[in-house]
Amino acid sequence: MIDPVQLYCWHFMSYPHLPADFDEKYDSGWVTVPNKLWDREKSRGLLNQYIDQLAYADELGFDGMVLNEHHQNIYGLMPAPNIIAAALTQKTKRGKIVVLGNLLPLHGNPLRVAEEYAMLDNMSDGRIVAGFAPGSGPETFNYNASSAKSRDQFWEAVELIRRAWTEDGPFAFEGKNYPLRYVNPWPQPTQRPHPEIWIPGARSRDTLTQIAKNGYCYFLSSRSHGKGTGQSMQRFAEVLKAHGDIYLPRRMGILMSTYVGETDKIAQEESREGIWYFLRNCLKGHQRRVGRQLTFGPGVPYIPPAEFRAYLASTDPTTPLLGDTRDWDDLQTSQSIIVGSPDTVYNRFMSVLEHAPVGHLLIQFHMGNMSDESARKSQRLFWNEVAPRLKEATGKRFNELFGADQQKQMEAAK
Amino acid sequence: MSTAVIEKTNLKLIDVNGRSVSYLEKGTGAPTVYLHGFADVHGVAGDLLPFHDKLAGAVRLIVPAHPGCSGTPDLSDGYDIEDAVFHYLEVFDALGLKEFNLIGHSIGGWIAAEIAVRHPERVKKLGLIGACGLFISGELIADIFMHTQPERGVDYDTMRNMLFGDANAAIAQRYYPNGRGDLDEETRRYEIIRFASFVGFKPPYLYNRSLINRLHRAKMPAAVVWGEKDHFVPRSHGEAYAAGLPGAGKLKVIAGAGHAAQFENPDAVAEVMLELLKG
Repeated sequence: MIDPVQLYCWHFMSYPHLPADFDEKYDSGWVTVPNKLWDREKSRGLLNQYIDQLAYADELGFDGMVLNEHHQNIYGLMPAPNIIAAALTQKTKRGKIVVLGNLLPLHGNPLRVAEEYAMLDNMSDGRIVAGFAPGSGPETFNYNASSAKSRDQFWEAVELIRRAWTEDGPFAFEGKNYPLRYVNPWPQPTQRPHPEIWIPGARSRDTLTQIAKNGYCYFLSSRSHGKGTGQSMQRFAEVLKAHGDIYLPRRMGILMSTYVGETDKIAQEESREGIWYFLRNCLKGHQRRVGRQLTFGPGVPYIPPAEFRAYLASTDPTTPLLGDTRDWDDLQTSQSIIVGSPDTVYNRFMSVLEHAPVGHLLIQFHMGNMSDESARKSQRLFWNEVAPRLKEATGKRFNELFGADQQKQMEAAK
Repeated sequence: MSTAVIEKTNLKLIDVNGRSVSYLEKGTGAPTVYLHGFADVHGVAGDLLPFHDKLAGAVRLIVPAHPGCSGTPDLSDGYDIEDAVFHYLEVFDALGLKEFNLIGHSIGGWIAAEIAVRHPERVKKLGLIGACGLFISGELIADIFMHTQPERGVDYDTMRNMLFGDANAAIAQRYYPNGRGDLDEETRRYEIIRFASFVGFKPPYLYNRSLINRLHRAKMPAAVVWGEKDHFVPRSHGEAYAAGLPGAGKLKVIAGAGHAAQFENPDAVAEVMLELLKG
C-alpha cells in the first residue's frame, strides 16, 4: 500500500512588527533591511509563540513540522533552525521534524551539521528529516557564500555528511573543499541507515540527477503551482527512470500556503492583513519586481552561461512575481496562497495534486503579521475538515496511479 | 600550437593544454596583451573598441577572453585568482610570448598586476586602468555583484553608474539598457560577473591582501590611469598602485570619465598608454 499524502505544518517565522509605511520607505525586506526596525519589547515571546504554533500542529495530528534557514531578513527569523528543532524535540512527541534545510556552504565545516542532526535525531527518538540546501541569492550577499562556488561545495558537503552517518569511522575524507583526516562523529543518528534526506531544487537537471541517484527526496522550490508543478514531477520521474528507479509520491514534496475559515468570506476577512503583509513586505527583495530582487539573476551566477542565456531567451523581465499580486482575483490564479472554506481549500488542493501527485504537502499557515489566534484556527480547521478528505482521496488515487509500480519495485528487490 | 578563426566573428582560438582559449588580435609590432574588464571587449562588446584599435596602430595587440567568457572554457570547479594567473602564464606560453607588454582594465588590471609581481622579467611594460585587486582599509571597491541585479527587474541605473562617469551617457545606455538587452551582450555581461565571482568573491570583493606589499617587485616602466568619476574602484586604489609600482609616475586622472575610462574617452587613455609603449 502507498501512503496517502503526508501533511506538514511549515512555519517561516516572519517579523510581524514593521511600521505601516514599510513598503514606501524601504527598498527590501532582505539583506539590507535595517535591523533598527527590530522592536525588542514587542518581540518578546515571539519565537516561543511560533514554536508553540508548530507544537499545536503536532497535537492536532499533523504528520510533521517544517523549519528552514534564512539570514538577515524579515521573511524568516530562523537563522539557526536546529535551535528551533531542538525545542520541538522537547515539546512534541509524534510528528516528523523536517529541517529544510541547513544551508551547507554557510557552515565552515559540514561535519558540524552531521553532528547536530545526529543529536536532534537522538533527542527526538528518530523523528528528524535532514534537509540540505545550497542557499541562494540572499546568502551570496549576506553570508559570503559565492553562488558560483556553492554548488560544488554543497554536493561535497552532502557526501561527507552521508558518509559520516553510514561508514564506520574513523575514515579520511579526501574532499576538495572540506578535507578531513579523521571523520568519526559521535553520536550517530538513531534512524538507520540515516535520517531521510530532502533536497530542494528548481531549474537544474544536475540537482534532480543527484537526488535520484542517491535515493533522496525532491522538494520543488516554488511558491506557485500550476502546470509547471506537474511538469517538474514528470521531469523528476524521467530522471528516476534513467537511473533504474521509479517515481513514487513519497519521493517528492511541495510548498503550499493556505488560510482556512468557516466560509470563503470569513477566510478572506481574517487572512487579508497577514497575506498582504506577507506579499508586500516579506517578499520584497525576494519575489517582487519592486526593489532589488536578490534571489536570482546576473549577480547570483550559479548556472553556466549557456543555461543563463537560455533563461534570458525564454523569459520576460517584466513578468510579475508572486509579491506583485494585484488583488484577490490575481492571487487565485497563482495557486500559491489558497484561501477559503474547507470545501474550497480541499478542491483547490486536490486540483494541484491531480496535476502533480506528490507525497508531501508542506503547508504554510502563518503569513506575515497574522495573529496567533488566526494561525491556530486555520491549522485546526484544516486538520479537522480538510485533511481527512485529502488523506482519503489521495490514499485511493496514489494506489491507482502507483500501486502496480511499487509492487514491481518490491518484487524486483526480492 | 594551433589557431582557428570562429565563423562570423573575429575571435581566434588557441589550444592551451586542451583548453580552447578565445582571443582577438590586431596590429604588428611589440607583442602587447590586454586583459579586459566589465564594460569592455569580451565583458559586454563582441569586438575590439576604438581604444584597442588605437593601440593596435602601434603594437601587436592580443586580447584574450577570461575563463568562462566569449567561449573560453571554465577552469576547474571553484577556481580562484591563483588559478587565473597560472592560466594566463599557460596562455602566454602557448602564444610563444616570452616577453611582452601587459595592459589591464578593472579585474583584468588586477590579474595584470598579479602577473607582473610574479614574473617581472617577462612583463616589459605595465599599464593599469581602473584596476581592482588591492585591499585598502575603509576604501571599499563597490559591490558589483549586488548592483548588477536590476531594480524592478529591469533597471540597470546603478550598474551604469558604477561602470561609467555618467549613468545617462549614450555609451552607458547603449551597453547596459534597461529591460532585456541584446542577448549576446547580456550573456557576456553575465559571463564576466561569473568569472569575477570565481576569482574575487570575498567581501569586500575583488582583492588580494598580499598584492600591495608585492608591488615593489614589478620594476618595469608602468602607467596607472583612473577615471575622475570612477564609482566602482576608489581613486585611492589608483594612488596606491602608482605609489607602489617603482616604474610608475604620478596617477593619470582622466577628466569626466568613470570606471571604464578607456571606453568613455579612448583618445585620452590611449595617449597615456602609447606614450608608455613608445620606444
